[in-house]
Amino acid sequence: MDALIWSKVHGAMTHFPIAFAPCAAVFDAAGMLCPRKRWSRHFHAVSAWLISIAAAASVPAIVSGLVMTKGQMLGHGVLRLHHLFVWPAFAFLIGAAAWRWFSGARVWESAGFVYSALIWLSVGCVLTAAYWGGEMMIAA
Amino acid sequence: MRTNPLRLRRATLLAGTTTIFALTATFVLGKALQHRAAATSHQIVQPEVLFEPVAQTSPQIVAEGRRLYLDSCAHCHAADATGDEGPDLHDLQVSDRYIHNLIVNGRPHEMPSFRKKLDAGKIAAITAYLRTL
Repeated sequence: MDALIWSKVHGAMTHFPIAFAPCAAVFDAAGMLCPRKRWSRHFHAVSAWLISIAAAASVPAIVSGLVMTKGQMLGHGVLRLHHLFVWPAFAFLIGAAAWRWFSGARVWESAGFVYSALIWLSVGCVLTAAYWGGEMMIAA
Repeated sequence: MRTNPLRLRRATLLAGTTTIFALTATFVLGKALQHRAAATSHQIVQPEVLFEPVAQTSPQIVAEGRRLYLDSCAHCHAADATGDEGPDLHDLQVSDRYIHNLIVNGRPHEMPSFRKKLDAGKIAAITAYLRTL
């Protein structure tokens, strides 16, 4: 087996939440602000699917990261900074996706303030964790 | 979206439960991986503390750490730190404090003390370098 398989899986999977969570937040905001109902429905539907894919991809990203660090959940130095934002990001992503589907709102409807708050929190944490993840690659 | 209090309460409960389940599952997986790694190495896993101060790391500190490592450690642990007389130093599963104490105090019959040669700043730089391996 390729010795770097987990590193490659981590690199591939982390980019889904990094790309999709901010897009989900932007589309949700656009859906709330757009005065045209037809467009608003499209925006909310896109946001719902984006956050779901981001949350689903965060699971293999977390698992592969844990395998890479041999189970270290905090670590030291830049890895620690990365982890201090990874765990809240994971929680907010899963929470936002779960809220989106359990809130009873149809996929084309707004899932309310809680959903919006959760995705913006997840975006902040995901992007900060991604920054420190990138710093680790450069520092190495 | 119509705000139905019962539906909101149910959504909060289910979303919270899913999040807690996901975090617990990853925590258990992490602990299992840590124990597996510890069982296959000579290292003792140190408990992780949430509010431990973050070690200062930068490419400059890492470069300084590598220089110090090559000066003081490479003749026993090899230039690439894969081990020679001393053990392999890749993927260390011990805390910064543990590394600091080991370098300062040494280990009887195995490793000399570097108390007089390396101060805290130099040890921190070596540790930062070792964390990149």
